[in-house]
Amino acid sequence: MKSSRALLLLLLFVAVAFGAWKFFSSRGPGAADHLTVYYTKLDGTTLGRWPVSLRTQQSGESDIEHLHNMVLYAAVQAVAGPPSDVSAIRFPPGTHVLGVNVHGSTATVDLSKDVTSQGGGSFGETGEFKGLVYTVTGVPTIQAVQVTIEGSTVATLPGGHLELDTPLRRSDF
Amino acid sequence: MLLAAASARASTATYLFDGRPLALTHVSHAAGAAAVGINDPGLRSLVRSLGAVITWHPGERYVLITTGAAQVISFSVGDRGYDVGPLSATAEFAPYLVGSEVYLPLADLLRSLSLAPRSDGNATVLQREITSIDVRGSAQQAILVARGAGSLSPRVASESGDTIVYAFDGFGSTLEGSRPVDAGGVRSMQVRVTGSVRNPRTLVTLTLQPGTRHDPPRSNDGDFEVAFGGGGSAPPLLAGGASAPVAAAPVATMTPVAEPTPPFASASPPDGTNASAAPAGTTIATVGGVSVQNGSDGATVTIPVVGNAQFAWHRLRAPDNRFWIDVQNAHLADGPLDQPEPDPLISVRVRQIDPQTVRVALSVAGSKNISVSPSATGIAISVGTQEVADGPHFGSGSVGTLVSSNEPQALVTPVPPDEYGQNDAGATWKFGPHSTYVPTRPKLIVIDPGHGGGDVGTTRNGVTEASLTLDMAKRLQAILVARGWQVQLTRETDVDVKRTTQSAQEAISDGYRSTDAQDLQARDDIANNAGARLFVSIHVNSFINSGPSGTTTYFSKPDDVPLAQAVQHDLAATLGTKDDGTIKSKLYVTLHANMPAVLVETAFLSNPDDYAKLNSADWRQRVAESIADGIDQYAKQYPVPSANQ
Ligand SMILES: [Zn+2]
Repeated sequence: MKSSRALLLLLLFVAVAFGAWKFFSSRGPGAADHLTVYYTKLDGTTLGRWPVSLRTQQSGESDIEHLHNMVLYAAVQAVAGPPSDVSAIRFPPGTHVLGVNVHGSTATVDLSKDVTSQGGGSFGETGEFKGLVYTVTGVPTIQAVQVTIEGSTVATLPGGHLELDTPLRRSDF
Repeated sequence: MLLAAASARASTATYLFDGRPLALTHVSHAAGAAAVGINDPGLRSLVRSLGAVITWHPGERYVLITTGAAQVISFSVGDRGYDVGPLSATAEFAPYLVGSEVYLPLADLLRSLSLAPRSDGNATVLQREITSIDVRGSAQQAILVARGAGSLSPRVASESGDTIVYAFDGFGSTLEGSRPVDAGGVRSMQVRVTGSVRNPRTLVTLTLQPGTRHDPPRSNDGDFEVAFGGGGSAPPLLAGGASAPVAAAPVATMTPVAEPTPPFASASPPDGTNASAAPAGTTIATVGGVSVQNGSDGATVTIPVVGNAQFAWHRLRAPDNRFWIDVQNAHLADGPLDQPEPDPLISVRVRQIDPQTVRVALSVAGSKNISVSPSATGIAISVGTQEVADGPHFGSGSVGTLVSSNEPQALVTPVPPDEYGQNDAGATWKFGPHSTYVPTRPKLIVIDPGHGGGDVGTTRNGVTEASLTLDMAKRLQAILVARGWQVQLTRETDVDVKRTTQSAQEAISDGYRSTDAQDLQARDDIANNAGARLFVSIHVNSFINSGPSGTTTYFSKPDDVPLAQAVQHDLAATLGTKDDGTIKSKLYVTLHANMPAVLVETAFLSNPDDYAKLNSADWRQRVAESIADGIDQYAKQYPVPSANQ
């Protein structure tokens, strides 16, 4: 009983504090409530799109945190790709996003080393990263994507073709 | 600041999964129902064995789980709404924090992973479920697609002249029953669950017409897919649903496929009632928040379904171009919908056409390609912009997972419409400006045989990209020299261009910092230091499956465009390969060459037809001749500024 009353009081306090915070804080720029996942079709260059819902900025979620979360969501969706019955150039099986970071207009996307498991040609590399870059730069304010693998910047994938040691932009493709 | 639930004590719950005990140790009941902590070692191992990956860091509000079937499940602290792929649903309660650890609603998490908790004595078994079985049919073929928890690779339990039985060992399902198919030589499909709670087995029996062939089954990102066709006499068009349902197995939850009753005189889809009735004692599923997202690639209609339902869809041939899907054993949560839509749709109508059936009808502008993708949480229908001569024209299936009766039926919210405001043509230039680069040696062309030494490039059956590219480069060198060019190769033998002692494994631990960049830069340095006129890199393409084929010339800089166009111009036609055109990409060697540079991906080693071509010396000679022709053509069109030689 005591603990539930304490909980109620705490919740009341939090609600009031929160309402006040919300009242005084300025909301970020019109947060998008959807995200376009881009993927590269099997012609090696044409983009397909797959819309997914995107959470609006939650109460208590700062602009910076929301941007981080949108970038994370975008990167994870891009690496997962469209549903399995859609033909798309996909990252090698097992590839996943370890984390993201946002510095200014550049998002760093850290990938698991599974991404290096595919001894592919320019086709796979171009298609995979084009989809990732288009998807992540679909997040407002993000212009470029720096790819890292297990935390390290790499010049290219091993035996690779695409340059990865500088940020990738839509205009690179 | 994230809101944390007040004190919550973690307890342990033990389950059986895949025949072994699975203990969840971070279980809390702070919100009234069970929640599980994201750092729970038992949960982590469960997710891993389903081929799924969790993305979450302490302090982060979002928990993202990518399933083996490439679907992203997304939860967020403080938000009851969660997403599974394109579909949104509402959880029993919002995820919350205990300390820095996110706790997720256990029942919703299990359902989104296609797992069903079922009791067996004092134990609770987490059963893998088959959550959708879908048959897409045309007169010529039927494709069966099954989806569920983890990767599906059933065995053929029995096969006779007129039946084939696939056994999914370890899988349960709530999709039991029989239904007519009548496509591609498949007469009917029956789903039956046998075995025990601990060792379930779902049997899918297909009754076939005599002589029906079937492809070997294939696994597509965890889905199970098998195609049938070509048996006996051609089945009638739009045959689905014409016959009475076969008597259902123990728990009869299937209803007949709605009668399409073609042809239709009116312009609107058939909204008549049908005779199907939900079997007594069956919980009815809920359809809510049907939504449409439009994009330049077409439209996607999502139909969220909570509970178990069967569906059947039909499309009429041109010029009628209507499509409708009936979700049976379902109740429409919202009111009817009737709205005009932009191309490729004309309109979307949603109706409860009888007490058990929700119909979503699309009017389509032309004979567009349509695909129907069921999942555990609903059905997505994609309508493309391309006209197709003939595609599947009906299909049926079942979707759903176990929803226990004491659980509230979650309200479903629509996925908001998509907007495609961005100009993603980006800065891709179609025509490069005339090169301002002035070569110091205007007769010199540097040819770069891709890979070599420690890096063999792509390989197949002992054939390496490095050896093929060296062979083609030497052929090209001979031709160009005969035509009066000077040629330098970046390597003459099978070596790294920047010799390195690092192994690939060392390179990985070193973050690939040195080897690859040095090797590629060394190739550019040869051309840059010599002041060559052109740089041509020769490669062999590859992909994880054998599908893609063809010839592409890649480029990176505006200066490269005319050379890429000249080289690609007749290349594929000469080689008999698919013409994949010129593609812009940020490839290292072309980007860092000062002069016009291209990278020719001659063909795919991973494609059987291309592989055979690559193995032919004749064909490789033709590659060299055609690239040389392209270079000559370019040189004629773009003479060197103030060339005196
Ligand atoms: Zn290569």
